[in-house]
Amino acid sequence: MSRHATKQEWIELFQKTGLDRDQMNRWHHAFEQFYPEAHQGFLEWLQLPAKEITEIRAASKKEKP
Amino acid sequence: MESVGRLARRFGLSRTALLYYDRIGLLRPAARSTGNYREYGEEEVRRLEEICRYRRAGLPLSQVREVLERGAADRTAEVLSLRLEALNQEISRLREQQRIVVRLLQGRARMRRVRAMDKARWVELLRRSGLSDEDMERWHVEFERLQPAAHQDFLESLGISPEEIRRIRAWSRKGAHI
Repeated sequence: MSRHATKQEWIELFQKTGLDRDQMNRWHHAFEQFYPEAHQGFLEWLQLPAKEITEIRAASKKEKP
Repeated sequence: MESVGRLARRFGLSRTALLYYDRIGLLRPAARSTGNYREYGEEEVRRLEEICRYRRAGLPLSQVREVLERGAADRTAEVLSLRLEALNQEISRLREQQRIVVRLLQGRARMRRVRAMDKARWVELLRRSGLSDEDMERWHVEFERLQPAAHQDFLESLGISPEEIRRIRAWSRKGAHI
């Protein structure tokens, strides 16, 4: 059993919790706005490649919730 | 002819080392002076150069003596091959340690960043995204069901105490927080 969740598993988790796409985007945006370092750390915890992390964070900065 | 002191200075060794080499028969002086001082000639200087070369290769004195024996060409090749093998093993051991140290440093950096989050901040973040208390409860239940080990790891990364983690996971497994 992995100590890390994957991105797919995390998305599935949020979907099962009842979050829609908009809420997930809002979550990324708030994460990036208030705790940018922790956002980076969280994405690394999901073991995403550096390139994808950069893209997600850039998109989160732009996102207008 | 050279005295012990001069020879030692020239090779960057201590006098004691040269006296020891004499005692174990590795490098004997060519002669004794009238005052019974050790005197070393050109042949001893050449032998000492060889001794130093093998020492720099990491051979212990006992093996240096072996390879310097006359007619020891085969033995020399054997000793050097073994030394090379030992060096290669040592290098791969060091490389493995290097890999582990790098991994540890990366792990620490990652945990430090995740730990910048604590429970209160995380809850605030979920609330801003529009989650109600019931949603967050459901989130724990699903997390525990889908990824129990990752759930544990995640709660640890928020700096939550072991007892509280146990409580959260226990009610998550039951499917509700009551």
